[in-house]
Amino acid sequence: MTELLTPRERFNLLVIDEKPDRCNVLPLITSHSATVTGITMREYYTDGVALARSQIAAIEEYGHDAISIFTEVGIIAEAMGSEFEYPEDDLPILKTPALDRVEVDKLAVPDPARDGRLRVYLDAIRYAYDALADRYPIFAYIPAPFTTAMMLSNPDRFLADTIRNPDRVKSVMEISLEATIRFVRDIINTGGLPLIVDPLASSSVISPRMFRGLALPYEQALIKYLHRFDFDVILHICGDTTPILDLLPDTGADLISLDKVELINAMGKLSKKMRIIGNYDTSAIMTNKPDEISHRVKEMVKLGMTTEKGYIASTGCEVPIRTPRENLKAFIGAAKEVGWYWE
Amino acid sequence: MIKPVEYIKNPPPAKITLESWTEQFEKVPDEEIKRYTYYHNNDWGRYLFPPVLFMVYGARELKRLKLDNSFAALRMWGFVFNETERLFRAGQSDKKVIATMGDLGIIPIIIQSFPNCVPFYPECIWWTPFFRESTELLDFATKLGIPEAACFSRACLSAFHKRAYFPRPEMVIASTGASCDDYSCIMQQVEDLGYEPLWIEIPLRRELQKYLSADKYENAGYPVRFEDYLISEYKTVWNKMTALTGINNLNRLKDSIIKANRLRGLVEEIKNIAGQAEIQPLPALEMMTIEFGNLYGYADMDEWISIVEMLLDLVRERAAKKVGVLDRDAVPVAWVTPSADPYLLNLVENLGGRVVATEYVINQALVPVEENIDPFRALARAFMKSSLNGSTSERVKRIAGMAGSGQIKGVIITNMLGASHCAMETRLIEKELQSVPVLVIDVPAPFGITEQIRTRIEAFMETIR
Repeated sequence: MTELLTPRERFNLLVIDEKPDRCNVLPLITSHSATVTGITMREYYTDGVALARSQIAAIEEYGHDAISIFTEVGIIAEAMGSEFEYPEDDLPILKTPALDRVEVDKLAVPDPARDGRLRVYLDAIRYAYDALADRYPIFAYIPAPFTTAMMLSNPDRFLADTIRNPDRVKSVMEISLEATIRFVRDIINTGGLPLIVDPLASSSVISPRMFRGLALPYEQALIKYLHRFDFDVILHICGDTTPILDLLPDTGADLISLDKVELINAMGKLSKKMRIIGNYDTSAIMTNKPDEISHRVKEMVKLGMTTEKGYIASTGCEVPIRTPRENLKAFIGAAKEVGWYWE
Repeated sequence: MIKPVEYIKNPPPAKITLESWTEQFEKVPDEEIKRYTYYHNNDWGRYLFPPVLFMVYGARELKRLKLDNSFAALRMWGFVFNETERLFRAGQSDKKVIATMGDLGIIPIIIQSFPNCVPFYPECIWWTPFFRESTELLDFATKLGIPEAACFSRACLSAFHKRAYFPRPEMVIASTGASCDDYSCIMQQVEDLGYEPLWIEIPLRRELQKYLSADKYENAGYPVRFEDYLISEYKTVWNKMTALTGINNLNRLKDSIIKANRLRGLVEEIKNIAGQAEIQPLPALEMMTIEFGNLYGYADMDEWISIVEMLLDLVRERAAKKVGVLDRDAVPVAWVTPSADPYLLNLVENLGGRVVATEYVINQALVPVEENIDPFRALARAFMKSSLNGSTSERVKRIAGMAGSGQIKGVIITNMLGASHCAMETRLIEKELQSVPVLVIDVPAPFGITEQIRTRIEAFMETIR
């Protein structure tokens, strides 16, 4: 089949409840794109232009349907004072959470133009937007307030404080939300469509009760902010979210990116309420052979396309950095082969 | 002390950046956002959203355009930029979406006479490549057989093919004859895509009196038989619509004419007030957008009229207070032929110009339609006033008059690559306007405005100041 639409046209149709020519194909190709241009990971996460160029090179190499601006989930926490290590060939690693050094009332909302590496994001969005936003959506992955709060804290203390010192936790969450909204405002003004990621709100990390009480209200607040502008909001939660599937529509997100859940179960609960993104096993895309990937992706896409509100063929989480290129090509080729809505 | 909502609705007039609009929008109360809807739908019909939304979804030129900061302008832009979604929502909610092509302003009045029927102009997609700073739709048209040398309206052929800018229309009504001949070719290509347009022919308004003395004129300036011919064409459209909808009620056509006149009256008043105000109350880009709304109300006539009413209130208020968006000494100019690239209007204002008169080839959508005669004849007469299909001297008579009386100090003509009427007529217009300096700008492809064009405009403004 000949592709009639640009990825921009395809995505814009999806979000107004129209079936595009074929389903959007968007494996979460983030830092893997650095391997396409051959730059170091450190260059990738410290130089916005290098990041954007890698993303564009990846699009040229694989032909997927969107730019993904993302480094790691600590980016807002870092700008608020958390310290990271910066390996040459891997992503930043949290070293000292800000709240190990200062009290919560000393945390300030960062200035995206000045603090941490927020500027890297904005530079990357600006470059990618100018280069190809007429033809491609530019997604900017933003850590949700709960994930940022955890990256500001010693996780054990933070979780213990939910019981021992809930006021402190609330203060951390509130300033995390404020910082996220401040950053999001600059992101949209630069041309990025925020894609909210809340990996630490996964049921692999916290209980459904904690999700409902702590993560969910701040996801809702952030999504409400974006909905005032009428943005279509994508929410990604890594890992197993089976125990909270029923709660996901309550976030308000328009599209939900799922990881380790049975797609058919998720569709049963969500497909009338949300557009579904997912969810090829992220480990498998690195380790499986291309033929196997192709076979499984076709099955996944055929199933996903029956969702009522629309579907994006994707991986469950980020494509691992060292995933073989032929594996990604197998994924994208298979999804494009069977993903046609139009005759 | 000014209450916040009042401040948002009436800030000191200015043209502001997209970022400033984002900041200002955050202060708009939720209830205001919920108040305004198209098709009276509270679920998906909201449209009061700021420029950043549309920029993120691909309208890249919004990053460098400066837009009016009023609440009314916010409402207008949200509505206008929402049109693609609106057309799809019309299809999803069982409205009949009707493509009207080439006549610019009359056929929609007929379509709007039928309940749940939404007319739109596919050729208006020609703004999209410029707002997106993208040649995608133009290049795609080339692949479909319309060469690069054709008018920018070729973008609409791509839009028909892609089905991503409007839904497949229930009916296509294509006007040919005294229409743009590039566009006639494009409409024929649309037919090749499997559509079955209802072709209607529009006659050239020409003065045959001295050659054909048997023709009746009745002071119309053209033979009455032209009107009769148009009436028969319009009745063909009416009958097709009746067959499509099962409705045949001429009173609805009369009501539709009254509604169109209501809009035309509002727009005329806005233009008059703006043209005579001490300081320009609204930017040229907003003014042009208002004017083009007369064509079909951006696919929801009732809501558009309500928006224009709000804009009229704004213009009245600003004119009365002697405040506006440009310097008091901005140089008055007339603009002939639509700019195609919205940025040009911004640019001329940035360089000291003030657009006080326009001739955007849509005069037939601006003039009142007679209400006390047969409605089909009234529509035919309105169309025969079309500025595009008469002689050059008729087309620019009003502009020439303004030049003669010193109301304008210069004329800017935008010349579209490939648009046959531009290629043929621009030099003739220049000749007709010898009493006033004229600047002709060849509009380049999207995102193609160069420093050279800027310098030429700058020099022109210096010259006529």
